[in-house]
Parts: sequence; structure tokens; C-alpha cells
Amino acid sequence: MEFFLQQFTNGLTVGAIYALIALGYTMVYGVMKLINFAHGELFTLGAFIGYALLVTFGITGRVGLGLGLAISVVLVAGLVGVAGHVLERVAYRPLRHSDRLAAVVSALGASIFLQNAIMLSWGANYRSYSADLLPSVSVSIFGQSFPLLKILIFLTAVVVMLALWLFVHRTRIGMAIRAAAIDQGAAKLMGIDVSSVIAVVFVIGPALGGIAGLIVGLCYGQINFGMGQLYGLKAFTAAIIGGIGNIQGAMVGGLLLGLVEALGAAYISVAWKDALTFVVLIMILVVRPTGLLPERVAEKL
Amino acid sequence: MLELRDVVVAYGGVKALHGVSLTVNEGELVTVLGANGAGKSTSLMAISGLLPLSGGSIWFRGERLDTLKSHEVVRRGITQAPEGRRVFGPMSVEENLRLGAFTRKGFPHRALKRVYELFPRLEERRGQMAGTLSGGEQQMLAIGRALMAEPKLMLLDEPSLGLAPLLVRSIFKTIRSINQSGVTVILVEQNARAALRLASRGYVLDVGRLVLEDSSANLLDNPQVKDAYLGSA
Ligand SMILES: Nc1ncnc2c1ncn2[C@@H]1O[C@H](COP(=O)(O)OP(=O)(O)OP(=O)(O)O)[C@@H](O)[C@H]1O
Ligand SMILES: [Mg+2]
Repeated sequence: MEFFLQQFTNGLTVGAIYALIALGYTMVYGVMKLINFAHGELFTLGAFIGYALLVTFGITGRVGLGLGLAISVVLVAGLVGVAGHVLERVAYRPLRHSDRLAAVVSALGASIFLQNAIMLSWGANYRSYSADLLPSVSVSIFGQSFPLLKILIFLTAVVVMLALWLFVHRTRIGMAIRAAAIDQGAAKLMGIDVSSVIAVVFVIGPALGGIAGLIVGLCYGQINFGMGQLYGLKAFTAAIIGGIGNIQGAMVGGLLLGLVEALGAAYISVAWKDALTFVVLIMILVVRPTGLLPERVAEKL
Repeated sequence: MLELRDVVVAYGGVKALHGVSLTVNEGELVTVLGANGAGKSTSLMAISGLLPLSGGSIWFRGERLDTLKSHEVVRRGITQAPEGRRVFGPMSVEENLRLGAFTRKGFPHRALKRVYELFPRLEERRGQMAGTLSGGEQQMLAIGRALMAEPKLMLLDEPSLGLAPLLVRSIFKTIRSINQSGVTVILVEQNARAALRLASRGYVLDVGRLVLEDSSANLLDNPQVKDAYLGSA
């Protein structure tokens, strides 16, 4: 039982990370019907900006743990958000009226560019967040002990996702985002400036992905310029599982995938952990290509 | 109020409008008739700023319109209930209506009240997903949504399409009352007889060109129109 609960916690943590990244894919897809192939690299950028703040600059030593972490989250989200905005301006906006393939090629190009830019800035070797950055405290729940860090990370991810849900469903801009995702032309007829909706989505999605990168650094320590590929692919899978374009779906898909992976690694085989992801993906694509969430819930975004 | 001057619109390299000129005066209800593919929807989309012109210009109250973005056109007071209704299916009726007032500041109490008075059915179904409404109700929603911005000029693209005759009559009655309340209306229709009874003037489009322009009474009597659009009756 204890082993199961541990694996379950691990699954939720990594699932929350997948979910955060998946939200970026799904929001951009929802509005633009475009897979942002550079999204995984924006996630990596988040991990490295976090590294610069927490390790190179040592922000927690200067302003204290709580404040240092809070500043890091805000700065990572902000800077990766800006990077996402620039990406949209440079790589996607000029191609808005060209055919789909041009945008896909541009997305792949942007991904390679970002990956190399990160490698040139921080080197090709693994970097690690210092192990003593966060105190390793455990809390005990029902007589079981859980690492506080993982619980906090899970809670942070849940809070961020709730905030996003409220933003999308309870604000004016959120309503515009949903309308543009359903029918861009009709949204324009309502007087919605679809260009700015796209710009907003290209800030929020990358910001969430950046936070996920920071979390990976804090949680697992090791980061590398190529890390965005596997995480990106898994998060993309999570987005498909939940039904791409669907915000709740990305959250559910991410958590589900995290759990499948952690429990699969524990009870089937660690070596097959990554393969398991793609078995799930293929099964979903065969059985329910529109994603798990039923059509009614699968209100796009 | 609105003037199209030699408007040319092309999809890819293929021209859909070959130099269309028309004017609409303040307070009028004008109809644009034409067969399938004549370019009626294309004209409305060009006015709304969703299609770029390859020639000519569009003017609204002395201001050039075709250089503006679509959201700026809505802000000038021009809205459209497009062909096929295009309501936001997974959103509620009321959310759809609020989106209609997107360019307006604050909660649109007044406009909402007015739309619910015109279409009590929409108020009954305010919480229901728009995609689950019947065709007629969706058309009411599309028109109501276009009214939410309290427009000066409203473009209606085939509001009678696919509706039962009784419903068409009631929708047309509503359109008349909207026009009488001071909103200028351009009504695109294939249902020529009904549209001409409602409108004061009409234009006839044929494969991207204006071929006729006259008062409704004259168009109803015109042998060409009778032949092509009114059937033999
Ligand atoms: N998106 C598009 N891409 C290419 N051609 C188009 C497109 N939309 C319309 N056309 C073409 O432009 C011409 C005018 O079409 P339009 O939709 O304006 O006609 P319409 O008068 O509204 O017809 P209907 O009564 O069927 O609605 C047609 O030849 C049509 O095939
Ligand atoms: Mg049409």
C-alpha cells in the first residue's frame, strides 16, 4: 500500500507537469489549429531561466526561500511568456495567411533554433538544480509519509489550472478566446480582434510551459537543452488524450498519463515507461480519436 | 450612409465580385437578390472587413471602411448575422448574446432586454447551449446577437434559409420592426418575393455583377426578375 501511494504521488506530480505543458499545446491549437512544435523548447527555456535565477544568481539565498521561489515563478512565467509572444510575431504571424504546411515548417524551424540557442547559452551538458535548494520535509497523511515538495508542486499546478479555467470562463478576454476557438470568422463579426486573442494565447501557453520547466528543475534536479523533446511529446500526447483544443481535457489527459506512467513503471517495467505513453496514445487514437472527454464537455477550450 | 464603389473581391486568383457599386441610405431596408454563387455573401463579408478588396472602395458615413480591420468595422456600428447563422454552438444563448455586445463596455443590460423582448424564446432558453437550439431559434439568436452591439447598419445573410414558411413570416416581421426602430438593414435573400415585399429597394447580383437596381415594386413587376427569381406564379 505504501509503495502504491508513493507511486501514485509520483504519478500525480509528473502528471501535473504534463498537464501544464499540454495546456500550451491545446490553447494554441484551439485558436489557431496549429501545433506549436516549439512549445517543448519554451518549456526547456523555463527550466534554464529558473536555473539562472535559483542556482547561478542564488535568489533564495538573497531574499529567502518563499519569496525567492515566488519571484522565480513569476519571472519564469513572464520571460517565457515574452519569448512565446516574440515567437508568434516572428515565426507564425507572417504566415497567418499562407498554407498550413508553411506554418508547420516554421514551427519546426523555431523549435530547432530555440534548442540550439539554449545549448549555446548554457552548454550541452546536464545542469542541476542544487539538491539543498529546497528543504526535504515530509508530511504524514493517514500514517503514510509524503515528500512535501511533491505535494506543493501538485497543488501549485492545480491552482494555476484553476486560475486558467476561471480566466477562460469568467472574463471578457476568456470569452473571446473561446469564441475564436469555435469560429474565428464569427468571432470577428462580433468585433473581437482575433490577432490580439492569438497574441494572448501565445503568452499564456508558453508561460504555463515555462512554469512546468521550473518545476521539473526543482523536482528532478537535472536539466538539459534537449529535455523539451520528450516532455513535449508526452504533453502533446496528454493533450490528444483529453481531446486537443480542450482545456479540461489537457488537465485530465496530463494527470492520467502521469499516473499510467508511474504505475506502469512500478508494476510493469521501468524500461517500458516511455513506450507505455505511446501505447496509450495509439489506443486512444484507435478507439476515440477525438479524445477521452465526451463531446458535451469537450467544448473546445 | 454606405457606399460600395467598383468593389472587386477575389478568392485566390478567381474574382467573385467584378466591380460592384451600390448605395444604402440611412434608415432604409434594402435587399440584395441573386442566385447561388452570385456573390451576395462575398459582398457582405467584404463590408464586414473579413475579405480584402482587390479593387474599389467601401465608404460608411464619409469614412473609408475597407482599410479598417473587422473589429473596427463593428465599432463603427455595422454588424452581421451571417449565412448559416454561425452561432457559437458550445456556448449558452446568453453567452452568444454577450459576445454580440463584445465591443460595448460593461454588461449589456439594455440591449439584452431589447433582444429578449423581440425574441422571448431566447430568454426562455438563455442557459441552453446554442448548438442544441432548433434552426429557427438559432436564426433568432444570430439576429439577436447582431443587435446586441446596437448597430446602425445590420447585414442579414439569408435569414429565411431552411426555415418553415410560418417561421419565415415571423422572422421577416421582426426584421421590419428592427428597421422601423431606426436600424438600417441590408437583407440578402434567395426568397425574392418575401424580401421585396419587405424592402423599399433591391439590387440583383448575377455572377459577381450588379444587373438590376430598382424599387421593390418595379422589381416585383420586372419580367426578368419574375422569370429568374419569382418563379412563374
Ligand atoms: N471561401 C471561398 N473560396 C473560394 N471561392 C469562394 C469562397 N467563397 C465563395 N466563393 C466563390 O465566390 C462566388 C460567390 O460566392 P458567394 O458565397 O458570395 O455567393 P452567394 O451569392 O452568397 O451564394 P449563396 O446564395 O449560395 O449563398 C462563388 O462562385 C463561390 O464559389
Ligand atoms: Mg451566400
